[in-house]
Amino acid sequence: MTFQDVLIQQVINGVSLGAIYSLLALGFTMVYGIIELINFAHFNVFMVGSFIAMYILEALGLNGQNVILTGFPLVGVLAVALVGTMLLSGALGVLIERTALRPLRGVPGTAAMITTIGVSYILFNIVLLTIGADAFNFPNPMPKVRWGEAGVVLQLREVLVWVVAIILMVCLNFFVRHTKMGKAMQATAQDQEAARMMGVEVDRVVMITFFLGSALAGAAGLIFGLYYNYTNFAIGYTAGLRAFTAAVLGGIGNIPGAMVGGVIIGLIESLGGQLLEVRWTDVIIFSVLVLVLVFRPTGLFGRITVTKS
Amino acid sequence: MVSPGTRTWSIGEALTAPFRRLSSDQQRWLILTLVTIAAVAFPLIDRNEGDIDAAANATAFAVLALGLNIVVGLAGLLDLGYAAFFAIGAYFYGVTSSWQFHPEWASFWEPLRWLGVVVHYHANGEDVVHFTLSFWIAMPLAALVAAFFGVLFGAPTLRLRGDYLAIVTLGFGEIVPIVVRNWPTLTNGAMGLNGVQAPSLFGYSFGVSSSPYYYLGVALIAFLIFVSSRLKDSRVGRAWMAIREDEIAAGAMGVNRVKLKLLAFAVGAGFAGATGTFYVAKLQTATPDMFMFPVSVMILVMIVLGGMGSVYGVVLAAVILQLLQSWFLQDLSGWLHVLGRAVGNDWMQQIDLTQSIELIFGIILVLMMLYRRQGLIPATRATKALTLEQQTALPSRGTIDVDLRVVAPGELKPGTAMLEVEKLLKTFGGITAVKDVDLRVEPGSIVALIGPNGSGKTTLFNLITGMNAPDRGRISLLGEDITGLPSHVIVERGIARTFQNLRLFSNMTVLENILVGQHSRTKTGAVGAVLHTHAMLAEERETREHAIEILGIFGNRLMPRLNQVAKELSYANRRRLEIARALASRPKILLLDEPTAGMNPAETIELANQIKSLRGMGLTVFLIEHKLNVVNELADKILVLDHGEKIAEGTAEQVHARPEVLEAYLGRKVAHA
Repeated sequence: MTFQDVLIQQVINGVSLGAIYSLLALGFTMVYGIIELINFAHFNVFMVGSFIAMYILEALGLNGQNVILTGFPLVGVLAVALVGTMLLSGALGVLIERTALRPLRGVPGTAAMITTIGVSYILFNIVLLTIGADAFNFPNPMPKVRWGEAGVVLQLREVLVWVVAIILMVCLNFFVRHTKMGKAMQATAQDQEAARMMGVEVDRVVMITFFLGSALAGAAGLIFGLYYNYTNFAIGYTAGLRAFTAAVLGGIGNIPGAMVGGVIIGLIESLGGQLLEVRWTDVIIFSVLVLVLVFRPTGLFGRITVTKS
Repeated sequence: MVSPGTRTWSIGEALTAPFRRLSSDQQRWLILTLVTIAAVAFPLIDRNEGDIDAAANATAFAVLALGLNIVVGLAGLLDLGYAAFFAIGAYFYGVTSSWQFHPEWASFWEPLRWLGVVVHYHANGEDVVHFTLSFWIAMPLAALVAAFFGVLFGAPTLRLRGDYLAIVTLGFGEIVPIVVRNWPTLTNGAMGLNGVQAPSLFGYSFGVSSSPYYYLGVALIAFLIFVSSRLKDSRVGRAWMAIREDEIAAGAMGVNRVKLKLLAFAVGAGFAGATGTFYVAKLQTATPDMFMFPVSVMILVMIVLGGMGSVYGVVLAAVILQLLQSWFLQDLSGWLHVLGRAVGNDWMQQIDLTQSIELIFGIILVLMMLYRRQGLIPATRATKALTLEQQTALPSRGTIDVDLRVVAPGELKPGTAMLEVEKLLKTFGGITAVKDVDLRVEPGSIVALIGPNGSGKTTLFNLITGMNAPDRGRISLLGEDITGLPSHVIVERGIARTFQNLRLFSNMTVLENILVGQHSRTKTGAVGAVLHTHAMLAEERETREHAIEILGIFGNRLMPRLNQVAKELSYANRRRLEIARALASRPKILLLDEPTAGMNPAETIELANQIKSLRGMGLTVFLIEHKLNVVNELADKILVLDHGEKIAEGTAEQVHARPEVLEAYLGRKVAHA
């Protein structure tokens, strides 16, 4: 393998990782855009989402990598798993918002953020205590189709990750730009008070935002499992931190920014791991976060915020 | 029927009656003495080494909680990587007092050998340096090193919104253990440091028994309680709380936000560093796993449970959580096992509740935030209700005459404006909020700024007070250019302001609000605050006197409510307090943004008279106001703003006669055909 091949291979890997981070980053950025809250619960909604996906796939009769499907059954099974995971994860997000965060709306300071840390911890430990600390073999019905020879290899799982991510992002973009609720979301993000006066039900908008963000986190959980063939109670923390960095990089509150930021972070992870050493990956990503915050706190495609007084 | 003069007593009341008869100060001293005696006597009574060991570990976490309390509780900065600073302190001492790191000997080390920090080890064919830094020197040094890292990582993010700090500290907390793990020559990586030297004092080595560490830990707690309490009740502590309550208002009152946040961050990190040396000396080892995210969360839970900013609450919570972890959950699991055997339930026989401690932490965080945000022992004490007499006392109007003159009349150069604005321009995106505005405010006058909603009045105020930087133009105060200065410097120069939507420090008392107002006129730093230096005490007394004097302007509206928390005041009193807070900064000119908004007619008249009397006391006033009767009565000059442009200027009669003004307020006439 030439060095060039290695680089191209790592770009393929990086874009796939990036797709997962992008989906997760969208949840951070949407919630931050609407209620200016860093939602730490999101880390573990993603983790719970991957377990939901695992159980759905197992309920559909898949077990490990033993059952291989092709054609329509493959697409059907994955579509059912995707929709089911997204609905349940979204419901989890709404539950969190309703029970733990809505009562704190309008409370200044760090209260809401601390609550999300608590919720994240609760989710994490419930999974740890009930399901356990093992790494679970994630059902994967995809045939081992690969393109390319010794040099650069593109696998079906990567194509799947890209396709799912692109479809979801296109749908989200359409929803935000062209539906009534999407416009209400944009209005609320700009000025909650004004939106309320124009008849936008802010509580509903926040609820939908949590639903969408958490549903996307669930989708990310599913494709994480399909990509790595495992899931575990601890996957939320690292992936969440990287996805958050992606959201900051793209300009927090900015939806296309989060998508691009995710891909950039994925590339930094794969190429950085290749050029330096894997054990320094988190140090590199964290440095990116700090550098962005120092030199361009509004991110690459920032959102201008006006100081209100 | 209870006959008059007699009371029925419950048992609890009867038992606590002697205690409740004491004054609150006496009560505090009594509790403090009892707790101290109990803490000192504990290892002598409970001679179980395991218990003392658990207690000694608990002291380390109580100290950490006290340190983080300064960052999170007082300054309101959410630090999620606090364990990183703990690790830095631990490894600093661990490396400088063990055999882990031994570079080759060079003459470079000679001075250090002379100081007794290193030993020249020359045996078995090796010629190396062996670090033997004394624990007592390492502790303050570790604090400094940790504080340095605190500043290094705090500086880039403290300028931004608080949320970013949370995420950056989370990342930092993640990175430090990774670096430790990946740097085995210095730290022995994941295997952990070994053979860390035990401290010794006057020839007595602490060794491996737990009692000396326990007493050292208790002493550290006592020291930190002392430091935190003194900081909290000082100019520095009040500035931190002001930042926590409302960052923008804190800046407008002269608090240098970046500097004070960095100070809080550094002090917190320093405490963690010092605790790190203590902890590693006690365990005589250190591994990267001891400093991961769950440690930071546990310390945060202590603060949330005890009460943010509450010094004693945090210590209490640390003790409770430690008891829960090392005693209660184990015992409870044991009882469940017995019960399980009795009823033949397998699941109950195997349950281990200590594993659920993190789940309990999560639940505590959520429940406390939802139902008891002030914590077990709230930091702001409950205020006594006013007596009926105080409540019904007739409000006097501006009883006390205070000299507010900052600039002596002789010092004024004739022809110099108090405030002068030239060609000021500010655009937001495509909107020009302020367009080439010129204005002059003469010393000793009251100038009113009027205009329809959205005409740029508040933006103009924001530009003058440094909240936003203008795109173009010049602002000068008594001829001195102040354009683009940060808001805390502008207050210092002599421009104070109030806000349209009230920005009080809600959870601070009336007095504390006004004391923060004097921030720019006072100097006490952290060291002075802790040592209670002569200068600090004198300054504190003076600021309090000045605060009372300022409150006198509003008669007995605010005076009886001195120790009431600002958020509990009536709306009108909150408006008055904001003016008093601005006046406390000894301004040359006072900017009032709709001072009478939301007040009823009687209150409006009262306040208008008081504003008028401010001019009599030597102050220049520049105000935004919508109530034209107030404006007409008060103002020496009226400026009218519309769509960011000044469209008229003059006395009330002159301005009201201008067709542009009528047009701006009532709309354009339809052009006649």
